[in-house]
Amino acid sequence: MNCEELIHYLSDYIDNGLTEKLRVDAEEHLATCRNCHVVLDTTRQTIVLFKETQREGIPVDRRSALFGQLEKALATRRSGRGML
Amino acid sequence: MLPPTPSIESLRAGDPRALAALFEVHADRVYRLAFGLLRERQAAEDVVQETFLSTMTHLAQFEGRSSLGTWLYRVAYNASLTRLRERPSEPLPTDEPEPGESPLPRTLVEWDQTPEEMLLDTEGRRQLESAIATLPETLRAAFILRDVEEFSTQETADSLGISEGAVKVRLHRARLQLREHLAEYFGARAARKEGKP
Repeated sequence: MNCEELIHYLSDYIDNGLTEKLRVDAEEHLATCRNCHVVLDTTRQTIVLFKETQREGIPVDRRSALFGQLEKALATRRSGRGML
Repeated sequence: MLPPTPSIESLRAGDPRALAALFEVHADRVYRLAFGLLRERQAAEDVVQETFLSTMTHLAQFEGRSSLGTWLYRVAYNASLTRLRERPSEPLPTDEPEPGESPLPRTLVEWDQTPEEMLLDTEGRRQLESAIATLPETLRAAFILRDVEEFSTQETADSLGISEGAVKVRLHRARLQLREHLAEYFGARAARKEGKP
């Protein structure tokens, strides 16, 4: 496997989605290619970083208000139509 | 994997506990998808409201070809795209052609911060925000559902209305583009440390 092929299969390798033969080929390449090893390592770090920073949910003070608005809107529609 | 969703029968019957459970399980995830695409809290809250209201009022039309969970995210994704299209200053999100190779990584430096250190660094967090904000929306949605929410490829495909192959291509491109953005930042840091212009 060369560098271009390794990059092509990089995401599948990270997700354990390669066949056994391709996985072995990828690991043989990674063992000897510093650049591809850096790309693999920094791609994994990238995923970890965004998993951490993109975890913010609905602001606490807005969550119950939003649910209340939803219940109210649904009740209005039910009373208008007699059913959902 | 998608978390468990209350049964469609209990929701159709108007069981308030089922509605509360549906909101409890999915509201934050829907918000994160919408915020990830729109980058505005108020707009993301509006999408949450619209998504649950639309889903609950169209339960009769739900045919069960996908799960109720992925249906919910499809509604949220489409509602977010509609809002993006209404923004006059932004180019329309377009579906990139799926075939073709992704560009090869250009910046090959090792990073001098661990993820933990970068998260504590103001400039580091600014770079993360800049990287995600400049990613095309279609790639961003695939990345958020697969790598942040940890949906399966099939669940992501159902949520976005695209094939599993297209999800894999978009995820791969998203990861490489985000990595490249951060790598350029770390490359510039390394050059500064060495006293290069």
